[in-house]
This record gives sequence, structure tokens and C-alpha cells, in this order.
Amino acid sequence: MERSLPLRLDGVASPLDVGIDGGDSNQRDTVLARQSRAAWRRRVAEQTWPPLRDWLLAWPLPLAVLALWALASHFEWIAPQVLPSPEAVALTFKEALVSGELWANLQISLLRVLGGFAVGLVGGLALGVVMGLSPTVKDYVYPIFKAFAQVPVLGWLPLLMLLVGIDEALKIILISKAALVPIALNTYKGIQSVPTRFIEVGKVLKFTRWQMLGKVVFPAALAPIWNGIRYGFTHAWLALVVVELLASSEGLGFMIVYGRQLFQLDVVLAAVVVVGAVGYVLDKGLAAIETRLLGWRKQAF
Amino acid sequence: MAHAGTLHIDRLSKQYEVKGEPLPVLDNITLTVNPGEFVSIVGSSGCGKSTLLRLIVGLEEGYQGEVLLDGRRVVGTSLNRGIVFQEHRLFPWLTVEQNIALGLLNAKFSESEKAASVHEHIALVGLEGFETAYPHQLSGGMSQRVAIARALVNRPEVLLLDEPFGALDALTRAHLQQELHRIWQAEGITMILVTHDVEEAIYLGDKVVVMEPRPGRIRRIVPVALAHPRDRVGLPFARIKEDVLAEFGGEAEAATALRHAFRRDDGPGTGFALPGGLRFAL
Amino acid sequence: MSAATLVPRSLRGFVFPLVLLALWWAAVRFGWSSSPLLVAPGQVWQTGVEQVISGKVFAALGASLWRDLFGFAIGASAGLGVGALLGASRLAEKLVGPSFHTLKQISLFAWIPLLSVWFGLGDSAKVAFLSLAAFFPVVLNTFEGIRSVPADLLEVARVLKFSRTQAWVKLILPAASPSIFAGIHLGLIYAWLATLGAEYLLVSGQGIGNLMIEGREHFWMDMVLFGVFVVGLVGFTLNWIASRIEAHSLAWRSRSVAQF
Repeated sequence: MERSLPLRLDGVASPLDVGIDGGDSNQRDTVLARQSRAAWRRRVAEQTWPPLRDWLLAWPLPLAVLALWALASHFEWIAPQVLPSPEAVALTFKEALVSGELWANLQISLLRVLGGFAVGLVGGLALGVVMGLSPTVKDYVYPIFKAFAQVPVLGWLPLLMLLVGIDEALKIILISKAALVPIALNTYKGIQSVPTRFIEVGKVLKFTRWQMLGKVVFPAALAPIWNGIRYGFTHAWLALVVVELLASSEGLGFMIVYGRQLFQLDVVLAAVVVVGAVGYVLDKGLAAIETRLLGWRKQAF
Repeated sequence: MAHAGTLHIDRLSKQYEVKGEPLPVLDNITLTVNPGEFVSIVGSSGCGKSTLLRLIVGLEEGYQGEVLLDGRRVVGTSLNRGIVFQEHRLFPWLTVEQNIALGLLNAKFSESEKAASVHEHIALVGLEGFETAYPHQLSGGMSQRVAIARALVNRPEVLLLDEPFGALDALTRAHLQQELHRIWQAEGITMILVTHDVEEAIYLGDKVVVMEPRPGRIRRIVPVALAHPRDRVGLPFARIKEDVLAEFGGEAEAATALRHAFRRDDGPGTGFALPGGLRFAL
Repeated sequence: MSAATLVPRSLRGFVFPLVLLALWWAAVRFGWSSSPLLVAPGQVWQTGVEQVISGKVFAALGASLWRDLFGFAIGASAGLGVGALLGASRLAEKLVGPSFHTLKQISLFAWIPLLSVWFGLGDSAKVAFLSLAAFFPVVLNTFEGIRSVPADLLEVARVLKFSRTQAWVKLILPAASPSIFAGIHLGLIYAWLATLGAEYLLVSGQGIGNLMIEGREHFWMDMVLFGVFVVGLVGFTLNWIASRIEAHSLAWRSRSVAQF
């Protein structure tokens, strides 16, 4: 006899289809089976309602703000140049999207940040690894690196502008510097802090130098290194936005500044939304990779 | 001397709900602890002994049956019922003195009375000189002593101890068992100790409550009528120990048979082969 | 004798800087480049001395630091409040949390053009921006710290009958303090970074960033280099002060933090 097989939300079959009653419809209606059904329904409810409720609770605040915004712009409590109406922003957003302007600027920004980040990543990893593995190199290089790192990315901007002008080279250099410092630092610290007890196990098991590096040092240092990479990416994105705001003729940052110059706040807001969205997507992407790579870690608390 | 309380547990049952199904943890526990008595509770993992303690101290609620202290129903936590956990749970940012003083935070004494009590209890647990040390500077045994002092400082009617020495090494454990015994004799309050170490249970307790798991039930209560100080290697001690150990492992009959086979009634003073022999049987 | 043993350990850090300095001096001395940007180290030093003596650098630095610390104070206090609220109330976390995390995703400097329209181009916009920069890390770390108070210790508070106020003052805030301090430290770093950015983007007024922009516009490399040095020094000092305060207040911690 055909039986529907309801599955619990956690993927395990419900008691109804565990072989005890063997398909006999009489047995299915015993008290035990009825209790199991009730318990299963309770489980389903327990598992669907909390996430749904949480999702619902997230909306009142933004909707209230949106309503306030719509009212403020409708009754012109604030001048429209200062606060465009939500409809204007949505319209501009749609236009920019349709005309391809948004996409074109987004592409440019993304290419820049990925290019700069790639340079910073390679440089940072290399520097961090070399400093971490060789105490000699660390003695020579670390102090000047540390001094160099004291100056925030933006402190270098005027200097670099003098040296390389304001075209792509400036942006790439600044973005890579923004990424390089945290990556190098975290890589170095990560390698340094591989617990000695793991190294000792490797020694007792007669690991070669390469085996030690590949099987002990890098897996153990991976967590701090990944941390550095995430941090480096956030900083790279930060640097990109600044440098585009200051010295660019295309890209998302440029869109913001251009809109601002023309007092077209709707353009500004549309671009800001995109900046936020991209940041969100990239961050989630990195988090997903992190779960993959570092799934073996348990939460400390 | 603090006032020692009478604890009466009547048909206590508790169950948890796991994924919609009820999971019974304790089943019909009935136990009376007389004032000033030291009761040891032993059982393997999963027999609900920790849950029992947490119900008595008020950290868990929702049970069937009664838990009465001096005839009054136990509701929630209270300064009348103190507890020492397996982890010391000291606040790392406070010194030894300050950690112990936490127990008196809500007690109705004057400042000078509180300070005096704190110092008295530091002396009681043998930690004079360490008043201003931070937890990270103390050994495990010392930290547990601070936890004991913190639990005793407001003179509760009953002190509960949940495997307090489980995380310590054997030597420290033995030492602290002696200390706890000394403190019990000095303070005279009712104490209930949960442990998986049978020897510890017999060494300290006036009676040993043996629990069995799934669901948690009292299997047997073994009285320990030995005089203090107790000799762990003496024959009477060993006899009680094998008696209690026989309750574990499932085949009590097989254990009894082996016991008869290995028994050598040489009188007090020998008692070396029996405990070891019995361990093989389990 | 290999390079490794040539120089004693304590002096190794100076090798590279000295070599670079020497190369720089040689480049100027022997005219390796005819660019007006190649200024002698001596001249940078000279400019620096002038700036210090005339007090101009202090005026600029003072303006920057004042804005920095003022904005930081506003942002950090607001951050502590909001972080504590989100940590204390699960309802607040569910209502406000998602919006907060969304706003956090917007790269910091993207806020400036908006702020410049709403607050003008002067100091108030800059201070508003700096508060924002300090706000986000403080909220996050405060929230995290409050949520990570070990359940073990919360049980002790229950057994010892702590009232709600007592639990907050005696347990939750001290337990969260390492995280809170870390957040404040981070807020300080971001605020300093934001100070510079604000000065570049909202050009009116005085500040060390403005000094560097001025140098750049006039192609005064010495001024710019001096500015870089000052910025680095301030960054280092702020960091150092924050670390000292952290170390002093958190002296009760041992090598490993999670030993509750």
C-alpha cells in the first residue's frame, strides 16, 4: 500500500515511516502512532516558526523609516535637494540599472578592487610567510614593516598622488596596500603562533621540512591567515571607495561624487545602495568560504 | 555553627522534551537527608545525579513530586542552598577575597561582619596569604577551595557539591576530600555530594545513594556506619566498597559469586586482594 | 660569515631604513633624477623643524585630533549604548539587528557625500562622519562581549541571588570588558583613518590631512613627507595609549582568555 513519507525538516524520516507498523493501516492508527504524529507536527512547528518570526521582526524598523522618509519628502519638511523622495530614488535606480550605467560603473569598481586585492593578497601572503618562517628575515624586515603600517592607507594618498598621478596605478597601489598590511600581519602572527606541541608531534614523526609546512604549519595557521584575508578585503573595499570618491572619472565612487556635485541625491543614494549590497554579497561569500575551509573548528563558547 | 537543614525529596520525577519526544531523566526519587548528615550520591553517566542536584538548588524547574527544605517547598535559588560545581566558576577579574565576598553580596550583614566572615572562611579552607591572588594564579585545587568558601560564606542550610573534585588530579583530590571532611565536621551543615568515585563517596558520606540510569532511579541506599577518621585500606571500608561496586555493571549475581570465590576472611588489617579482584569482574 | 650573523639582532631592524635613507641621500646628491619631486632628506627635516617652531603643525594637528577625539567620543558612547541594548534584549536584537548589519555593509566613506549634504562641508559633517566610523566596531564588539558571557558564571549569579542590576554591574560588564575594550580600540583606529579621509573629501578647515593636500597641490614633497611622518606618529601613539589602558584594566587576564 502506498504510504506518504513525510520527512521532518531535519531530513530524518518521521516515526511514521520507521518500519514498526510494516504498512498495516490498522496499526497506523494506534495511540502510539497518533502520538508520534502529534510530536512530529510539534517538531515542524518548532522548526518553522522561530526563523519566520525573526524574519518578520526585522521589518518594522526599516519600514517605519521608509514611511517617515516618504512623509518627510511628500510634505517637504526637508528640501527635495537634500532629501529626494523614495520614488525618485527608486526611479533613478531603475533608470541607471536599465541604461547599463550602474552595471558599467560597478564592473569598473569590481575590477579595480579585485585587481588591487589580488596584488595585496600575493604580496601580503609572501611577506607574512617569509617573516613567519625565517627569524632572520623577520629581524630585518618587521620593524620597517611595522612603521610602514602605522600610517593608515589614506595617509599615503597625497604622497602617491605626487608620485604616480591620479590614474589606475594610484588606485591599484592604494588598494593593494590596504589589503597587504593586515594580510601580512595576520599571516606572520598566524605562523608564529602555531602551537609548539603540534610541531613537536611532527618532529617525533620525522616530518621533512615540506611535510612540516604542509601538514602542520599551514593548516594550523589557516584560521588567522583567513582572518587577515577577510580584514584585508574589507580594507581594500574601503580604499576603493575613497580613492574613487577623490580621484576618479568612473566607478561607483565616482557616481556618488558626481551625483553629489550635481545635487542629484537620488543618484548618490542609488550608488550607496549598490555599494552596500556589493559589500554584503562579498562578505557573505567570504563567510561561506570560511565555513568550508575552517569547518573543523568548534565555537569557543 | 550554621543551622543545618532537613531535606526531604518525595517522588521526584523529571523529564525533558527532546525533538518533541519526552525523555525521562529522573523517576520517582524519594530521599530524606537529616540535619547535619553527609550524603553521597554515586552513579554512572546519565543517571540524572547532576539534574537531581540542580533541581534541589533551584537552577532547574518543572518537576513532579516534592522537594522540601525544613518542610517548605523549594522554589528557585536561595542563599539557603549553596552549590559547588565541578568547574570552580570563579570570576576571573576578582581576587580570592572578592570572589568569596560575592557570596555575601545579598546577605543581611554589616560590612565589618561580612569582612570578618570572609577572612574566617579563607582560614577555614586553608588559603591564608592568598587573599589578593587572582584565579589565574591559583592551582585547580586552590580554586576549588575558593569556590567552597564562596558557597559556605553565607552559612547555607545545605551545601550541594556536583563532582567538585572531578577535574583535579588524584593527589589533590585525596587531599581535598580530607579538607572537605574537616570543614564538614567544623561547620556541621548538611552536605550532599554527587560523584562517580565510589571511594570518595564512602570516605565522606554517612550514607551512599546508588543511582542507576535511564531513567534515573535510586537503586539502593548503603549506610556507612564507620567511625571517623576512615581508613581507606581497611577491610570494613573495602567491604562497603565492594558492596557498592556490586551494584554496577549489570550482573550483580555474577559479581556476588566472584566475591564469594575470592573472599578470604582473614579479619581486619589485610584486605588487599578483594577490591582488585572485584574490578576484574566488572 | 653569512649575512645572518653579520649584524647583531637588536640592530637588524635599522639596516633597511638606513640603507634606504642612504640611497635617498645619494639619489639627491648625485642627481639620479631631475624631477622636482626629489627632495633631499635634509630638506624634509628642515621643513619639519620649521613647522614645529612656527607652531603650524601643532595647529593643524590640534584641529585634526580635536575632531577625531570628539567624534570618537560620541560614536563610542552611542556604540556602547546600542551594543548593550542589543546584547541585553533579544527583542531589540531582532528588531534592530538586521537593519544595523545592513547599514554596516555600506563602506564607510560612501557616507561622506550624504553627510556633506545634510551637515554641510564644515566641521559638523566631519565629526558626524567620525562618530559613524567609531560607532560600528564599538556596537559589534560590545554586543559580542555581552552575548559571550559564559553560562557557567550566569548560573553562579542565579545561585547567589544577584538582582538584575547586580548581575550587570558585577558579572556581565566585567566579563564583556575584554571585548568592549577591543571594540573601543578598533573604533579609535577607524576614527583616525576617517579623520584623514574626511579632511581630504570635505576640504574646508584645518587639519593635518589638509596640510598634506596643500603640499600635494603645490608639489611640496617635503611637506607631504613630513605629513606622512606625523600621521604615522599619531597613529602609533593612539595605538600605544589604547594598548596600555587595555593592559592595565585587563590585568586579571592570563595568557589564555577563555579560562572561565
